[in-house]
Amino acid sequence: MPLKGKLTLVTGSGRGIGRAIALKLASQGSDIIVNFFRRREAAEKTAKDIEALGVKAEVIRANVGDPAKLDEMFDTIATKFGHLDILINNAASGVGRSVLDVDIKAWDWTMNINARAFLLCAQRAAKLMEGRGGKMVSITSLGSSFVLPTYAVVGISKAALEALTRYLAIELAPKGICVNAVAASAVETEALKFYIREGLMKDIRQATPAGRMVIPEDVANVVAFLCSEEAFMIRGQTIIVDGGTSVALFMAAGKEER
Amino acid sequence: MSVEEEIKEIVAGIVHVDKSILTREGSLRKDIKADSLDIVQALVAVEDKFDIEIPDEEAQKFQNFGDFVDYVERRVAEKEKV
Ligand SMILES: NC(=O)c1ccc[n+]([C@@H]2O[C@H](COP(=O)([O-])OP(=O)(O)OC[C@H]3O[C@@H](n4cnc5c(N)ncnc54)[C@H](OP(=O)(O)O)[C@@H]3O)[C@@H](O)[C@H]2O)c1
Repeated sequence: MPLKGKLTLVTGSGRGIGRAIALKLASQGSDIIVNFFRRREAAEKTAKDIEALGVKAEVIRANVGDPAKLDEMFDTIATKFGHLDILINNAASGVGRSVLDVDIKAWDWTMNINARAFLLCAQRAAKLMEGRGGKMVSITSLGSSFVLPTYAVVGISKAALEALTRYLAIELAPKGICVNAVAASAVETEALKFYIREGLMKDIRQATPAGRMVIPEDVANVVAFLCSEEAFMIRGQTIIVDGGTSVALFMAAGKEER
Repeated sequence: MSVEEEIKEIVAGIVHVDKSILTREGSLRKDIKADSLDIVQALVAVEDKFDIEIPDEEAQKFQNFGDFVDYVERRVAEKEKV
C-alpha cells in the first residue's frame, strides 16, 4: 500500500481514464476526491467502487473551466481535509473542428478546461502541499505534438498543458512537488467508441506496434508510477503511452509489404 | 420573468438566435441548430442562473425545449419548497 494515508484529487474521474486512475491510486491506499462535471451517477458509482477498495471517497462537482467553481472545490478540500498529496489533472473537453472552424467560443471553452484549469488547480494544490511535498500529473495526448484530424484546439490546449507541466516542475521542485504528464494515443474508452467509427478503431489497432489499443489501465499504471517515490527524479516530463505508435512512422502503410 | 422566458433568453444569447423562434415543441439541435457546445453551455448557464443541477443523465432524456423548461421548473419548485 505505497499510497496509504495519502489524499488524491482526480479531476474528471467519474468515467473513462480518470476513473481508472482513481481506482488504481485507491488500490494503492490513497483516499480519493472524485471530481465530476455533468455525470453525477457515474461519479457516485466510481466513489462506491473506490470505497469497496477500503479507502475513503469524496465526490465534488465542479466545472474546472469556471474559476469560481474550481475555487469552491478547493475551499471544500481545504476545510474538510486541510491538505492534498496528489493532484491528477485529467478532466478535458473540446470541440472537434478543423483549425479554420475554431471560433472564440470553442477556443476559450477548450483552453479553459484543458489548460487554464491546471494552472489554477496547481496554484491551489501547491498551497495544500506546502511543507509535505506532493505529486502532480496531467493527462495529455499525442495531439500536442502531432496533427490529428479535427483535433486542433484540443491538441493546442494539450501543448499548453505540457509546457505548463515543465514550468511548474521547476518552480515547485524546491517545495518537494514532482510535476509530470502522461500523453496517450487513442485510448479505448466508452467515449471514444461513441465518437469514432469501428473502422477507425481497427486502423488504430493495426497502427499500434504493441498489437492492441491503449486501455485506461495502461495510462493509470504510468500515472501510479509517477506518483511513487521511485519516480522522484523524473521532473517536467511528458511520458508517452502509445504502444509505439508515435515512433513507428508509416508502419500501417507498409504492412502488406512486410 | 417566468422560468421559461429566462431560459429562452439564456439559450438565445448562447446560440445567437432570436428568442421568438424557441418553441416548446422545437428541438435545440434540429430546429435552432445548436451544436453540442451550445447545449452544454446553455445547461451550465441555466444551472448557474437557478442554482440547480441538471445532470447529463437527465438532460439526455429531453425530447424538446418544453421538456427542458419543465425539468427546470420542477427543480426550481423543489428548491423553493426546501
Ligand atoms: N480517450 C482517449 O482516446 C484519450 C487519448 C489521449 C488523452 N486523453 C485524455 O485523457 C483524459 C481523460 O479522457 P477520457 O477519454 O477518459 O475522457 P471522457 O471519457 O470524455 O471523460 C472526460 C472526463 O472529464 C470530465 N470533464 C469534462 N469537462 C469537465 C469540466 N469542465 N470540469 C470537470 N470535469 C470535466 C468528465 O466529467 P463528466 O462525465 O461528469 O462530465 C469526464 O469525467 C483527458 O485529458 C483526455 O484529453 C484521452
